[in-house]
Amino acid sequence: MMNPKRVWVVAERDVRSLLRQKSMLAMRVAWFAAQVAFFGLIANYMFREDVLAAMGGSYLEYYVAGMVVTMLYSTAIFIGYDVYEEADHGVVEYLLSLPVSRRELVVGRSIGSGVRSLLHVGPMIVIALYLTGTPSALQLSTSLFCLFLFAFGASGLSITVAAALKSSDRFDILMGVVDALAVRLSTALYPVAFMPSYYGGLASINPITFAADLFRWGAGLESALLTPPLLAVVGIVAFSSTFTFLGVALYERRLEGGGWR
Amino acid sequence: MAPIIRMVGLTKRFGGFTAVDRLDLEVEEGEILGLLGPNGAGKTTTILMLATVLKPTEGTVYIGPYDVTKEADKARRLVGVAFQEPKLLWVDSPWSVLNWHAKVCGLPSGERRRRIRWVLEELGIWDVRFKSAHSLSGGTRKRVEVAKILVQRPKIAIFDEPTAQVDVVGKHKIWGMIRELRDEGSTIILATNELHEADVLSQRIAIMHRGKLLVCDEPRRLKDSIPGGDVVEVSFEGGVPEMVTEELRRIPTVVEVSAARQNQVKIYLNRAEEALPRIAELLLRLGLQAKSMRVSEPSLDDVFAHYTGLTIEEAQRR
Ligand SMILES: Nc1ncnc2c1ncn2[C@@H]1O[C@H](COP(=O)(O)OP(=O)(O)O)[C@@H](O)[C@H]1O
Ligand SMILES: [Mg+2]
Repeated sequence: MMNPKRVWVVAERDVRSLLRQKSMLAMRVAWFAAQVAFFGLIANYMFREDVLAAMGGSYLEYYVAGMVVTMLYSTAIFIGYDVYEEADHGVVEYLLSLPVSRRELVVGRSIGSGVRSLLHVGPMIVIALYLTGTPSALQLSTSLFCLFLFAFGASGLSITVAAALKSSDRFDILMGVVDALAVRLSTALYPVAFMPSYYGGLASINPITFAADLFRWGAGLESALLTPPLLAVVGIVAFSSTFTFLGVALYERRLEGGGWR
Repeated sequence: MAPIIRMVGLTKRFGGFTAVDRLDLEVEEGEILGLLGPNGAGKTTTILMLATVLKPTEGTVYIGPYDVTKEADKARRLVGVAFQEPKLLWVDSPWSVLNWHAKVCGLPSGERRRRIRWVLEELGIWDVRFKSAHSLSGGTRKRVEVAKILVQRPKIAIFDEPTAQVDVVGKHKIWGMIRELRDEGSTIILATNELHEADVLSQRIAIMHRGKLLVCDEPRRLKDSIPGGDVVEVSFEGGVPEMVTEELRRIPTVVEVSAARQNQVKIYLNRAEEALPRIAELLLRLGLQAKSMRVSEPSLDDVFAHYTGLTIEEAQRR
């Protein structure tokens, strides 16, 4: 059984590392603001009324919510790079020697990375909500909790892939490809209505779509949703639990074999 | 008393290479066991298996009642390791490293602060507690690594070369603190390639070479087990001619002769005082000029040489 206190101590270590990323955070928030203010706004003028209707009436609002989710995804993936940095410094061995079970370790780190990612995109969420508003605090907090679950799952995915590949170069390439495809084959940046059907099929089972839907739901963009919120929640829970499970299994199997060096 | 650690045919292979080879060794509760061997002997790999960081390829080790291949989570709770290479990220400060370590080991906050302060002050690194690791010297980083375990005070404390890169004053301080930890009831494994360190600290010493356990006993008894109670070292100006060792072996009280270094022979013998005139006579007869001649008691180096035919220094170089 997992001990919640130990899990949280493990998580806290990754959350605290956010403090070291202040300049990176500032840079990303500035990038986000510019992307929204220029691309989002101008693209909004490029669409006809009937096109905008498919996105809930405003591309700017549709876009800013989707961007938050893609930023959240790419921030959560960062934990994989931490795993490599730790391997370079031999810190992996230290973590494996601590009085913590493998499950507590992987779950703790996924939670830590999830919380860290959510805090990291916090300013972007504020910008997005400034533009969209929210129907109710309850709806918003539910949707933010779902974003956390999504970030938690993406962190588990990143740890799983990092442990499986053991080469930061290959990790970099693979995650770059996955990021490019997963974001584009989702409804983060455009609705499924304009996608060819074979893209649309993939987009409708993509966790990024679920997360984008849930954030839009929390931001009151209900007419822009692809998946009913309840189904999206189920999708995200499935995604998170799959990769937490795989992460635990792989972390244990691959690292204890001693082939990391 | 039942042993607190029991290695049974403990083996680790990396591909085709056997780093630890069927180790059978028991550690008694409350003792300091020295794990002595040259670089590459397999000390660190053994430790990583005890700490459940690596899985044994074959065999196992029991930590208390727990078999590491079956109940790793429980075994791990009894053990703390100060690693050979300090495990710090460049951005970490000693304070944050120790505080988090103590927290994850379950120390309550007041106790945590008290112990960390005490250990940092004792080791002379209190003043640098908020500096990031990249600005610290190798010796300081090593102290931080050792400090983790001195703060944690686990039931089984493992130190992998705890004083490598640490200055003499620091060495003595660390040795003192390791003894104190043992006196409080912890069992200690000390891996080292320094003979003196193993000798002054350990109740028993296990000597490893090329993944194998050669022998394990009290330092005194290891030295006594060397054939011949005395050692005579003779150094020459030039190399040592082959026939000298041959001739020396013919002296009745001589048990063993080894060319330890290039310009030196070590003669293991009984009653050195009787043999010395005969050795001098022999050298004179052969027309050899001895630079120095020294009588001593056998050291751990002699014990190592007895089992491997090499001095530890030579073994390090291979
Ligand atoms: N992960 C690994 N992969 C391959 N070889 C290894 C690995 N770890 C250690 N070795 C090899 O195993 C041998 C024993 O190493 P080690 O246990 O570090 O010895 P020691 O601590 O006594 O110096 C060395 O030859 C080392 O190169
Ligand atoms: Mg070593």
